[in-house]
Amino acid sequence: MKGHHFTALLLLLLAALVCYFSGQDFLNMHKEEAVYPSPHLTTKKRLSDYFPGLKNSPGDSSVYIFEGQKEGGTLLILGGTHPNEPAGFITAVLLVENIEVKQGRVIIVPRANNSGFMHSDPQEANPQRYSLGTPGGSRWFRYGSRLTNPIHQWPDPVLYINPAGQKLSGTESRNLNRSYPGRKRGYLTEKIAYGIMQLIDKEKINLAIDLHEATPEYPVINAIVFHENSAELAVIALMTLQMEGVDIRLEASPPNLRGLSHREWGDFAKTYAILLETANTSHGRLKGKPSASLIIEGKDKNYTKAAKLGRLFIPFDEDGIPLKQRVSRHLASLRALVSGLYELYPDLLIQIQNVPSPTDVEQAGIGAFLRPPK
Amino acid sequence: MIQIVYHLIVLYLTLHLIWFIIREKKIWDQLSGVIVLIMFLLRLLLIK
Repeated sequence: MKGHHFTALLLLLLAALVCYFSGQDFLNMHKEEAVYPSPHLTTKKRLSDYFPGLKNSPGDSSVYIFEGQKEGGTLLILGGTHPNEPAGFITAVLLVENIEVKQGRVIIVPRANNSGFMHSDPQEANPQRYSLGTPGGSRWFRYGSRLTNPIHQWPDPVLYINPAGQKLSGTESRNLNRSYPGRKRGYLTEKIAYGIMQLIDKEKINLAIDLHEATPEYPVINAIVFHENSAELAVIALMTLQMEGVDIRLEASPPNLRGLSHREWGDFAKTYAILLETANTSHGRLKGKPSASLIIEGKDKNYTKAAKLGRLFIPFDEDGIPLKQRVSRHLASLRALVSGLYELYPDLLIQIQNVPSPTDVEQAGIGAFLRPPK
Repeated sequence: MIQIVYHLIVLYLTLHLIWFIIREKKIWDQLSGVIVLIMFLLRLLLIK
């Protein structure tokens, strides 16, 4: 079959059409899901209010501040450092939509790496979104990438020397949890890290918690990772959780592993620094077909098989580890840490009401505690 | 600066591809060119 100008024109038109539709699909990932804050929200700020270098950049993100009437401690909760770890992000959203602070202050950043929410990992076939049912209808949430969008930060260096001096592979320059304490004039990811450090400093944060998830084959899982300044606090939280029947372990932040939140927040900002991990099959290497139900239900036959072969660091069976269970673990850990902080330092009391109970979340599901879509 | 250089390179290659598609007489080769062109256009517009 021979072609020339006419077929060229036809094919160019086809290319334009494919570009239009696939472009729409990609640009859909830039849309941010709706979050309906609790009526007790005091102020909503942006990360750029703490570091103007982020203004109008894809690294800027919403900061929700809840203030009590009495003075007390200040808690920072970060979700979405890695946007492919949904339990951290959903826990943060759940808190924003429900809590009331009576004493002290709670500051929540659900999308810590906003740019990472705006794309998906290439060749992973992950769904762009997943939906959770609420009594008033279904709500969607973005499933993003571990790393900053390469459209926003390019090119990756061959070797990345992070702000704390650690040598890492080039792609890690887009990993927020390797970029602390950040750089004022660095890569976008380093600027986000710098903005978060500014927030910690300006808001005088006492306890900072970074919510994560790990793959079931990764040793640091169902764990509280703590900076050495928070060792006592982590131990108290561990004991509380074990008494409640939550199986969790402690992991000390290695002093030579630099650039991570639980290391640099403690070293540079002198705040009590904690990172929490739950088990997420949807970003594991052994998973089967990626899907929204894998994110929400956490069931995967490959992981069941791997568990039977003793290859995992957590128990895993046919029931999987659903998102509601992972969010429930995060909520239980947060509650234990806040009460532990009060036990150690009574003047840092943070009194939070209307926090969904971990048992209720596990029984009634996450959607029961999310506000209906408007 | 590096972003501008990158854009200019992608633009140059995109225009070359379009010129190739217009001049090419074999339809299958035109089609191959179009498949590559889609990636370049998305990259040029900083969509993906």
